[in-house]
Amino acid sequence: MNASRLQHIIPAGAIFALAMTVTWLSFTQEPAEAFVFPRIISIAFIILASWNLARAGLGMARVGGGLSSAEARHIFPGLIVMLIYVFFAAKALGFYFASAIAFFAVYSIYDPVPFSSVKDWVKRIVITAAFMAVIYGLFALVLQVQTPRGLLI
Amino acid sequence: MEFLGYFGGVFEPVALLLLLGGTVGGLVLGATPGLSPTMAVALLIPFTFHLTPTQGLILLGAAYTSTVAGGAVSAILLKIPGAPANIATALDGNAMARNGEGARALQLSFLASGVGGVIGVLLLIFLTPVLAVWALKFGPSHLFWIAILGVTVIGSLDSKSFVKGLLSGCIGLWLSQIGYDEIQGTERFIFTDALTGGIHIIPALIGLFAIPQVMEMFAKGRVSAAIESIAVPKYSIFDSVREVARSIRSLSIGTTVGAIVGLIPGVGGQIAGLVAYDQSRKFSETPDKFGKGHAEGIISAESANNAMVGPSLVPLLTLSIPGSPTAAVLLGGLLIHGIFPGSNIFDKHPEVIWTFINSMLLGQILMVIFGLYTAAWAARIAKAPVPIMAAGVLVLAMFGSYSVQQSMGDVHIMLALGIGMYVLEKFGFSAAPLVLGLILGPIAGDYFTNGAMIAAAQNGLFEYFFTGGLNLILIFLVISSIGYSFWTNMIKGTSVDVEARTEVAE
Amino acid sequence: MKNFVKSALLGAAALAISTGVSMAADYPDRPIGVEVSYGAGGATDFQARIVTLPAGNEDMLGQPMYILNKPGAGGRKGWNWFATEAPKDGYMMSAYNVPHFIAQGIKGGVKYDADTFEPIANWGADPAVVIVGKDSEFNSMADLIAFAKANPGKTTTSGAGLFVGHHIAALQIEKACDCKLAFIPTKGGGAAAMKAVIAGETLAGINNLSDAARALEAGNVKILAVADLERHAFLPDTPTLKEGGLDVDNASVNFRGLMVPKGTPQDVIDKLAAQVPKMFAHKRVTQKMKQTNSPVKIMSRAEVQAMWAERKATLAELLKGL
Repeated sequence: MNASRLQHIIPAGAIFALAMTVTWLSFTQEPAEAFVFPRIISIAFIILASWNLARAGLGMARVGGGLSSAEARHIFPGLIVMLIYVFFAAKALGFYFASAIAFFAVYSIYDPVPFSSVKDWVKRIVITAAFMAVIYGLFALVLQVQTPRGLLI
Repeated sequence: MEFLGYFGGVFEPVALLLLLGGTVGGLVLGATPGLSPTMAVALLIPFTFHLTPTQGLILLGAAYTSTVAGGAVSAILLKIPGAPANIATALDGNAMARNGEGARALQLSFLASGVGGVIGVLLLIFLTPVLAVWALKFGPSHLFWIAILGVTVIGSLDSKSFVKGLLSGCIGLWLSQIGYDEIQGTERFIFTDALTGGIHIIPALIGLFAIPQVMEMFAKGRVSAAIESIAVPKYSIFDSVREVARSIRSLSIGTTVGAIVGLIPGVGGQIAGLVAYDQSRKFSETPDKFGKGHAEGIISAESANNAMVGPSLVPLLTLSIPGSPTAAVLLGGLLIHGIFPGSNIFDKHPEVIWTFINSMLLGQILMVIFGLYTAAWAARIAKAPVPIMAAGVLVLAMFGSYSVQQSMGDVHIMLALGIGMYVLEKFGFSAAPLVLGLILGPIAGDYFTNGAMIAAAQNGLFEYFFTGGLNLILIFLVISSIGYSFWTNMIKGTSVDVEARTEVAE
Repeated sequence: MKNFVKSALLGAAALAISTGVSMAADYPDRPIGVEVSYGAGGATDFQARIVTLPAGNEDMLGQPMYILNKPGAGGRKGWNWFATEAPKDGYMMSAYNVPHFIAQGIKGGVKYDADTFEPIANWGADPAVVIVGKDSEFNSMADLIAFAKANPGKTTTSGAGLFVGHHIAALQIEKACDCKLAFIPTKGGGAAAMKAVIAGETLAGINNLSDAARALEAGNVKILAVADLERHAFLPDTPTLKEGGLDVDNASVNFRGLMVPKGTPQDVIDKLAAQVPKMFAHKRVTQKMKQTNSPVKIMSRAEVQAMWAERKATLAELLKGL
């Protein structure tokens, strides 16, 4: 399966825009001595980005399957959990508590068994608790990593 | 053969216990995401305060060797490379584990680590005086060319498209320039506060490898088929031994590359695995199998990682200059016991130094034995149902990237890079060249600046970077590497393109 | 009220309550972090690990200290983080290097200067020394200066970075001899700067006295002079720059100690200022420091405050117009 020409043009265009920005920044920022190497990189970057964009535009980009709408639908709930977990919950709720919730949420969302099965809810809670116990033992007790504490640990 | 006389010290009860503890502990620490060998050894230093110098060094020596090998465990089972050294192992090792052959991948990796490691330590034992002179020959201009040589590998590394491989590398090179410039101390490309400290390589590694894999699992949705584990053929240890013994070419490429790269102060073992992997593929009769769970890939990468350990200590022991971050921590471990490394260390403290080296030798062997016997058991992790795997890798990625510098900014960078990489992978870009760019960017950039400053005080840029035997040899290698990539990709036409065409036809 | 807090804590032992209320009487009730702006294994990191060892003893702080490395850009990454992100509750301290952070603050481009932090106590002072390779034609400071005068801007001199102690010493030497060196900040800190001298990549170098003394013992370098007011006990035969006729004072001496961010409660600072110097003076610490050739200099909070103020004035003068 291969992605459509349009699907290839979008990331290629985005990378080209990034390359333009990087080049512009590299050649305008001061002091110049600190930007000699970024300038060299940005030139290579912009050449390769235009080459890639041209290939995508001409329909020569052959590798990469792209992202189907079914896949995007499947990813969506997990992605939301990930974003909330990393950017908000970990600090607000405390690392371990947020991790337990995120683990449980991801596990439950993608577990193929029907949601009505009580036995499987119990199983998921037990596995989450066991996993978090291992994580706590490793990072908090053995390695003594100090994690942010929010409302809970 | 002087070292043989000091083997007795390793076999005292306390020493043996420490050796065992160091090896097993090192494997566990090495396998913990986010904990590089450097940090693992640094964590153990306080324990050595309570021990005699010899005992302390036995612990550190055993731990150093086994943390490097332990990093392969999480790379293979979870696709989270424990350290930059294990990136190449993740490529083929994880593919093999997902085919249900996790135990085989682990066994191959431990055996190759052991072979590479023992040869590396033997080099340290027999060739230290020769190697010490060699290690000093690499100045800023040579290190710059070595980094460029590494950059030339980018185009051919684990990539389905030449242009996209190079472009991935370029993105990595640029990402590496974010943050404070190491030499001038000026700010570059800092768009948000999380980037003030630049992009730390370990959270970046975790994000770039682990997160796309988690999202790949999400993408399958709630499919019950995904949860059925594959029937795993029983793979005996002897088969692995035989397979490693047959792979002489990968082993020798890995060991040679690892030993040379390990010796050069300032480059460190970060790129040994990747360079060996790439070379091994170029010389292989079956280059297409690489990246899909090929034994040669694992063997070359892991033998290189561990072959680097012994030689990387040469500059430390003879010149008192730590050649890698881990060597710097070991220097602290030596100093704290009143042992000052230098050219005369083998005369002044023979019992301490030889016991230390012997413990690394025995540590390698113990590591192989322990690793082989636990491999089958550990490999079951890779067979966990998909939803548990996805959730577990996500939480481990979070903890791993946080614990490196205890910084939330690093975690945010990790996730942002990971999601970006997932999208890029969907369009034919790959993480390995991007990471190589991220590692080589600061090496190339900073040694260029450094060399340019020295050149300005001498006879100018051209003479400093383009004259002298070693510079010319390295430039020749750079040109031939570019020529080779160009030849195989542009003129001959790649087999990959053919494959892609058939894909289109399907 | 206090009883209520106490019972609440007991009732929910697993819950950590950070109310922001100052609880200096209980401080510290969990391990204290020490941020080090240089890599694991460097002199600062390694000395910090030694001096914080007895923290957990009951008669010291009763809680252990752990080290957190945030290396990069000559210390700028770590101290920027410390100035902006570190918690101001006494549970995160940082190891300072003077003159490094003060000079960087004056030079600008960073989020801190001498007034952003509150010193706790000083544990060591490591002067800068001028070194050359063991086969170098230079045998004294006079030789080196004569060469520098004859070849302005050609005397490549390695050091750990820009605006760290080594660089300050180089600037002071240039000012005193009225000649031009070529200061080369190396990638990889002091160890790389040392390697540059041993391998002959640079003609000379400025490095830490403790590291240079070790390299001298190994027979890799010659030490030409010490950038301090008096000769050092480790190197009784090495003259100071002043003896060599160069008007260089001790502004480049690398002082190491602990500090907290401004805004930390005063009672926490007081407690630390009282206990930390005792910790530095612990027998186990001084013994380990001696074994590792690390020069000790314990100073109280008041003494460090005076030293910082003095350095700030000197450095502002030196760095003017750069």
